[in-house]
Amino acid sequence: MATTPNDWSERSKELSELLARSGLGDRQAFARLYERSSAHLFAVVLRINRDRAQAEDVLQEVYVNVWRAAQTFDAAQSQPLTWLTSIARNRAIDSLRRKQTEPQTQPALLLNDDEDKDVYDDLPDDAPTPLEMLSRASDARALSHCMDALSAPQRQSVALAFYDGLSHAEVAEQMRQPLGTVKSWVRRALQSLKACLDGAVLRDARGA
Amino acid sequence: MDYSRPELADRLGAEYVAGTLRGPARRRFEALLGGHPALRAAVRAWQDRLMPLSASLAPVAPPARVWQRIEARLGLRPAVAAAPRWWARLAVWRGLTGAATAMALALTLIVASPPPAQAPIVVVLSATAPAGQPGAIAPASFVASISADGRAMVTRPLTQVSVQPDRALELWALPPSGAPRSLGLISSSGATVVRKGKVLQDTAAFAVSLEPPGGSPTGLPTGPVLYVGKLSS
Repeated sequence: MATTPNDWSERSKELSELLARSGLGDRQAFARLYERSSAHLFAVVLRINRDRAQAEDVLQEVYVNVWRAAQTFDAAQSQPLTWLTSIARNRAIDSLRRKQTEPQTQPALLLNDDEDKDVYDDLPDDAPTPLEMLSRASDARALSHCMDALSAPQRQSVALAFYDGLSHAEVAEQMRQPLGTVKSWVRRALQSLKACLDGAVLRDARGA
Repeated sequence: MDYSRPELADRLGAEYVAGTLRGPARRRFEALLGGHPALRAAVRAWQDRLMPLSASLAPVAPPARVWQRIEARLGLRPAVAAAPRWWARLAVWRGLTGAATAMALALTLIVASPPPAQAPIVVVLSATAPAGQPGAIAPASFVASISADGRAMVTRPLTQVSVQPDRALELWALPPSGAPRSLGLISSSGATVVRKGKVLQDTAAFAVSLEPPGGSPTGLPTGPVLYVGKLSS
């Protein structure tokens, strides 16, 4: 089962404790931390680097890193799942060497003029596309609301960059759009997401 | 470039976390992070915003060999993944050591009565984090001296330690395995006398973590561990 963003903070509580104990050299806690988080981090890594052997190496590096850096983890500053996922993403992105492992993304189709139609709509593929992933992730109220506010190409460009670890140039190639256009889609999408999510946080704070 | 400019920090942080900042630019940015709190703050904020997106990925269980390699790399377990042999188990060693100590003590009692007072045990706790960590503490050390019977312990900072006013230092006794035990808050500026019964019993090391004022709310360390010192036996 995929975690929903609602579970994110719930799972984080447990992981926070395991991480704190790992930082103190508690091997059992570290083993449990691996047990509880490795399938999520492997999914994150594998989505970015599709080469399984390389993805396994990356995952190994991630946990070696986590064990060594666990004592610098500050539960007051960040959520453990966010912290762990960031390490995994960074390692996975670093492992992408252009010629070696191009992410095997689906063939590009021309972007439809219809804003509501995504280029993935016609693809007979069982694997969830980045866009399906986005809509699953947006189960949480604020995120869903904020994702809806993005235009279709904005949503797709962010999804390709975030889930598949594509660079601007690769997103442009994938979407068959000029590089400059894609850069501004991504930039505007991130800006609107920020404004929208931060607004939701403010509303929550006022409502509480 | 002025990396403390909020718009610039925010834009770079966003691209770094979204993953579109690549190649040499990405490495340059990572190198800059250490010296620029504004960039670190921007990255953290963007991680909080975007990481939950990854929650929708269906988990993929990695093969068992990955964990085995991690254990081997970190020396968490002997290369042969087997149950620890009886002589490797700490409890046995502790038992033997205890027996040896008892015998030595008995000998001492027989040979020289009264026995000489045992010298206190001194443990140096060294900083774990490199300078410039967000914990806002200069790398420094604590020294802890423990009476031989483990009933009293005094901690003292060796150098100037500055802790943010909304943070406190908490001392922990770490058993060879299992959860750490809190020994209470300690002063960052002067000596603290700790009286928590037998602080040496089942203790392999001491650690100091950064906690909210009043100490960890969970009974386990929640903040980063700043200092660690092993109890040499």
